Amino acid sequence: MTQSPSLLRRYVFSTDHKIIGIQFLFTSLAMLLIGGALAMLMRWQLGWPSQPLSWMGQLAPNGMPGGVMVPEYYNMLFTMHGSVMIFFGIIPILVGAFGNYLIPLKIGAPDMAFPRLNMVSYWLMWPAIVIMFLGFFLEGGAAAAGWTSYAPLSVTLGPGQTCWVVSLLFVGTSSIMGSINYITTVINHRAPGMTFFRMPMSIWALFITAIMVLCATPALASSLVMLLLDKTLGTSFFMPSGLIVDGVALAHSGGQPILWQHLFWFYSHPAVYIMILPAMGMISDILPTFARKPLFGYHSMVYAIAAIAVLGFIVWAHHMFVSGMNPALGTSFMVATMVIAVPTGVKIFNWLATLWRGSIRMTVPMAHACAFVAMFLIGGLTGIFLASMPVDMYVHDTYFIVGHLHYVLFGGSLFGAFAGLTYWFPKMFGRMMSERVGKLHLLLTLIFFNGVMFPMFLLGINGMPRRIYDWSQYAHLAHLGPLNRLMSLSAFLLFASQLLFIGNFFWSLFKGKQAPANPWEATTLEWTAAPSPPPHGNFERTPHVYHGPYEYSVPGSSQDWLPQNQAPSDK
Amino acid sequence: MASAPRAQFVTLAALVVAIGCGGGKPQEASAKSNTAARPLQLAQAPEDPATAQPSGSAAITGRVAFSGAPPAAERVKMDADPQCALQHTDAVHKPEVVVNANGTLKHVFVYVQQGLEGKSFAAPASAATLNQHGCMYEPHVFGVQVGQELSIVNSDATLHNVNCKATKSKPFNLAQPTKGMKTSKQFAAPEIMVKCVCNVHPWMAAYIGVVAHPYFAVTGDEGTFSLAGLPAGTYTVAAWHEKYGEQTQTVTVGDGETGSVAFEFKAQ
Repeated sequence: MTQSPSLLRRYVFSTDHKIIGIQFLFTSLAMLLIGGALAMLMRWQLGWPSQPLSWMGQLAPNGMPGGVMVPEYYNMLFTMHGSVMIFFGIIPILVGAFGNYLIPLKIGAPDMAFPRLNMVSYWLMWPAIVIMFLGFFLEGGAAAAGWTSYAPLSVTLGPGQTCWVVSLLFVGTSSIMGSINYITTVINHRAPGMTFFRMPMSIWALFITAIMVLCATPALASSLVMLLLDKTLGTSFFMPSGLIVDGVALAHSGGQPILWQHLFWFYSHPAVYIMILPAMGMISDILPTFARKPLFGYHSMVYAIAAIAVLGFIVWAHHMFVSGMNPALGTSFMVATMVIAVPTGVKIFNWLATLWRGSIRMTVPMAHACAFVAMFLIGGLTGIFLASMPVDMYVHDTYFIVGHLHYVLFGGSLFGAFAGLTYWFPKMFGRMMSERVGKLHLLLTLIFFNGVMFPMFLLGINGMPRRIYDWSQYAHLAHLGPLNRLMSLSAFLLFASQLLFIGNFFWSLFKGKQAPANPWEATTLEWTAAPSPPPHGNFERTPHVYHGPYEYSVPGSSQDWLPQNQAPSDK
Repeated sequence: MASAPRAQFVTLAALVVAIGCGGGKPQEASAKSNTAARPLQLAQAPEDPATAQPSGSAAITGRVAFSGAPPAAERVKMDADPQCALQHTDAVHKPEVVVNANGTLKHVFVYVQQGLEGKSFAAPASAATLNQHGCMYEPHVFGVQVGQELSIVNSDATLHNVNCKATKSKPFNLAQPTKGMKTSKQFAAPEIMVKCVCNVHPWMAAYIGVVAHPYFAVTGDEGTFSLAGLPAGTYTVAAWHEKYGEQTQTVTVGDGETGSVAFEFKAQ
């Protein structure tokens, strides 16, 4: 069972969970950059509608002839921005990168339960990415029906939309493979003494997330197959009778467009939690480390995550309050959604209580974790507005929802990812990142993030619809020009600020200070039982776990932290 | 050990991609129109056939008369887009049935339907122009030769899209968000008529007669037409109107002769 020495097997088609995690990391960071670049083009159009961008006229002569963006291209941009960010950026970085890297290390296992399945789950991402972007080069362009791909529009669009469907089938298969692997590994491969309630919160979160992925993704996969059949073989799962498109009656009959919405959101609302729970878990690891205090309410945190996961499966139709669904049904979804605020509130208060009177070490990961708590709070609170049916009917499909989802997915998931990446970077690469550049990056990101996203709430309340190509065409939105330009400027600066992170990342990768095994004086196994970076197989000897994951400021101890694998007699 | 599963995976991936992407239709082609079997329309000043090197000295001239009471023209309401409304001080009506003061019909596309088989004609070097001005198409009815450049221009400070529903050539649907934008297109095959609409301003419609030769014209304010430079021969001449359909007549002309044709459309 010795590892093949070839570079190809070691670094490309590797079955080592750490290499696969790092592969997911680099891929998803690249995708986040591409997704962000697509957003910059959108912000150009929204800041200065139809002003020419001459160099883009050369790059995309059909989408931006003479540098002027046409509406179809804008539709492709927001569709691809959302799809790339969600399916190739946020989910892979949180679940793929951190899940793969952390699970075996933190539970004291040498590798995943199914290393080869793990490798396939990564390499399925590439056909997905290639096929998705292939749409840009096909007639009619890339997918343009929004990341939600609502039928019947998605059925009537061209091959780019078909590629979107096929691409997501690959992503879904990858996710299902990964989730089976995570669940099996956590259940069967924990080190001796690593009971479920000694697992760090990041592992709990990833474990529960994997269960969600396993339950939700097949619903997406099956609905994608139905959509594919509607598009290619003329079936009518989602296509109603008598549909006339551009003056031509279509041959479909008897399908239900609203069925797609139900099936899609049955996956995609849990997916919202798939995109936030791992970040919550990582934050729950990082805050105690730098507050030098045990995590407040560890058990309640576990139950809160489990409650969010369960409730996450029975709230999907709150995305459909204006779809013509029975209002009585809407009420039950409204109430179920609001109930999610309870476990979420438990988590927020527990994080605050963890910080309370702690010996705060304001490192870069800690600062990102605090930013996560603050930004996610805004995202969560605005979610309650949207959960309320009467309010939602007013702000549905406006920029209010765009603001909400960006506070959750950028303010939450991406700040969480930044926190996790800066926290585990020394373990992954054996080098420390620059604290000074890291703090500057965080500060600028936080300022410009709010500069882009907070005005979205104001735009939404003023009635600016989401996905709008040119607000200046409408008299009632004309006064929103200055706010839109402020947002666009903030967006460009937000994007530019990420250059600091990229620079810091690559500079530190090669020139950063050598990292000790446990630079943060943390308690969990990846820090206390493995060098930085850990070798293949992770641990020289299988660690034995004696303590919970957050033993900081332990009374009577010689140091203010107690490694999970430190035997009681070693004190 | 891992190569066999990998090979299987690659095969599976290729299969899924082939199934998935292969069956798609272009976005513009997803909704095809059937304008070929549609009503008619009047026309304006004829295109200049001289640009396409006519190969004879015969000519066919005529007029298109209208009898009966013309239907009242439908008024166009442009209030939804101030950029459109601001460009008109007077009421705007749909140019569907326009009867001239002399009792002739405007916007009728007249062309040689039969008699030129076996002859080929080079497309003219000059472009035909479809202008969007005051949120109306100018001209409303016109002809182009197969392969001739069609220059589509937006002269309005508002978004237009040009959705041309060709069935014999590749249809297209393009947007022009800003004033002064120009896009060039061509048609690959003859088609009577290609209808173009703007989905932003639903009252806008233009009809393009795509023919393989330069012998076409559109009736204008006098209701007359002239097809000059024809080789001697017997021709079927057709007149097409967007509401009243198509009529044909046969005429024989020799070199240097001018044949005359009279069409008459009746109110329905």
